[in-house]
Amino acid sequence: MKLVIDGVEVYYNSIPALRGASFEAQGGEVVAVIGPNGAGKTTLLRAIASIVKPLRGAIYIDGRLVNSVPPKERGKLIALVEPSISRSIPSSVLEFLLTARYPYSKLYSFTPSKRDLEVIDIIAKKLNITHLLNRRLDELSSGEFQRVLIARALIQEPRVLLLDEPTAFLDIKYRLEVMELVRYVTKEQRIISITAIHDVYLASLYADKVVLLSNGVIVAAGKPEDVFREELIENVYGVKVQILNIGDRRIVIPIQLLNNGQPT
Amino acid sequence: MAISIYETKLRNFLIFFSLLTLLTVALFVVHISIGPAMIDPILVFQTLFGLSPNPQKVVVNVVSLRLTRALATVLTGAALALAGLLMQTITRNPLADPYIFGLSSTALTFVALGVIFAPSLMVYRHYIIAVAFLGALSGYILTALLSRLGGGSDISMVLAGIAVASLFSGLSHVLLYIVQSMLRSPYVYFLLGSTTTVLQREIPLMTELLAVSTFASLLLIKPLNAYLYGDSYAKQLGFEPKYIRYVGAFIASLLTAVIVSYVGIVGFVGLVAPHIARFLVGSNHLFSMPITILVGASIALAADIIVKLISMYVGAIAELPLGVVTSIIGAPFLAYLIIKRLRE
Ligand SMILES: Nc1ncnc2c1ncn2[C@@H]1O[C@H](COP(=O)(O)OP(=O)(O)O)[C@@H](O)[C@H]1O
Ligand SMILES: [Mg+2]
Repeated sequence: MKLVIDGVEVYYNSIPALRGASFEAQGGEVVAVIGPNGAGKTTLLRAIASIVKPLRGAIYIDGRLVNSVPPKERGKLIALVEPSISRSIPSSVLEFLLTARYPYSKLYSFTPSKRDLEVIDIIAKKLNITHLLNRRLDELSSGEFQRVLIARALIQEPRVLLLDEPTAFLDIKYRLEVMELVRYVTKEQRIISITAIHDVYLASLYADKVVLLSNGVIVAAGKPEDVFREELIENVYGVKVQILNIGDRRIVIPIQLLNNGQPT
Repeated sequence: MAISIYETKLRNFLIFFSLLTLLTVALFVVHISIGPAMIDPILVFQTLFGLSPNPQKVVVNVVSLRLTRALATVLTGAALALAGLLMQTITRNPLADPYIFGLSSTALTFVALGVIFAPSLMVYRHYIIAVAFLGALSGYILTALLSRLGGGSDISMVLAGIAVASLFSGLSHVLLYIVQSMLRSPYVYFLLGSTTTVLQREIPLMTELLAVSTFASLLLIKPLNAYLYGDSYAKQLGFEPKYIRYVGAFIASLLTAVIVSYVGIVGFVGLVAPHIARFLVGSNHLFSMPITILVGASIALAADIIVKLISMYVGAIAELPLGVVTSIIGAPFLAYLIIKRLRE
């Protein structure tokens, strides 16, 4: 399968948040989107998920224009994990996870199918949240909550899995665990995963392809060795970095601010 | 694991559904049996369901006389509870209720103004309901706008609603006072929140509107479940959150309008019933919606039984409005919810 992002432009109140964004991804590829705060990472993911409509440009999955896919059908193609969901009305983890199967059933078929519940069981086991199914969403730790959010997306069985800062609130162990899992699922199911991530270091550990955003523009996209170059990262982030070769990976280590450590 | 948890939930739902149905029927029978002439509840039950071995004419007459008020009370509780559940979901605010968010008071104000300015039209219930509906929608929009000015938080929505509700319930009652002098209505409690004034021939239309609203709400079950977790979440699953809000607000306003046009303001049933339902069966609307409706009907019946008992023991000529009793039960619950929320 193939995802093509072609010249996508998104504006908020006529202020551009994404300009002429283009790149491609193949099935089985782990894509990392990096860039400073406000660079447009979230906007890019929301555009792919059709949550925001691009003013110009198009997004294709296997040659199909995503915007012309019926909304429910789109639910089977794309899932976006946002950093949080509303929890103001109390509900349980299982109640939340059951909604992820809605794209697969009719509006008025009210009870979940056997397969719906089986998929939930399999994914819950994989993410180690089986013991949480009966718990309330607002009574989970951030690590547990994050895993539930990711489980939901996997239960939806999408072809394109989008994750927005999935590791932001996690400790080191869970960060690695989440990224391992994303990588595993992407390879096993030959889907495309695109993860927006602050942490350049984590991105360099797991990505097959890296998209570097700055001020709404993709300044580089391609293999990690093409994007993780010292001068490129330093230009975009204003931070001095060192690139270490560990195994077959190029790992980015931030060293200090560029202007000799003087805060600006 | 998921399978067994779901099956347990389903079983719980069926148990609570049966228990609450029994409770509603029991309260209904007790409600009818209470009055100046007390009737044995067993006799009432037999008469209602045609099981009486030797029906006494007196009993049959009294039961059929009291039946209308009991039915009106059930419909009031059920409709307001469903409206409350819909409002809590579409605003994602557990403090929502048709009264607290100002819908009931603006609806009643519109009705009173309608009677004053177009008395010939207001003879027809359809017009009254339509006018009340516009009033309820206006109240909802006004509260939403006010709360947005105040930052849009849960609590700001409640404060905005209470401001709108207080202003318009005061205003509407003044207007109704004027209306009563115009109409020389025999009812002291015309639209002041009492189910005693509903007429037998009005029950069918009330029932139909509630049935249609319930049916429409059933089709919303899945969209509402997805909507709980946020706008962009609902969108991902193929539901347009804007339309869910519109349809939800439409049905909630219609339900509120129907009750306001027959009964007047009855507050807090819509706040309390969804909380009890979610506590019993969780947030899945497939389960919480029917349970909310039954809990609402039971609360209204229980409150109206209290109304009947108070008037019997005090021996007053006219009865308290049902809305007074539901407020006394409901307002402390609102206070509890607000304190719990502010503590978090
Ligand atoms: N809903 C919105 N309304 C207006 N501006 C927005 C909105 N969302 C994001 N922006 C702006 O668009 C730009 C890109 O934001 P975003 O995609 O969230 O960046 P990132 O996820 O990389 O931090 C920022 O300048 C941000 O202020
Ligand atoms: Mg972001």
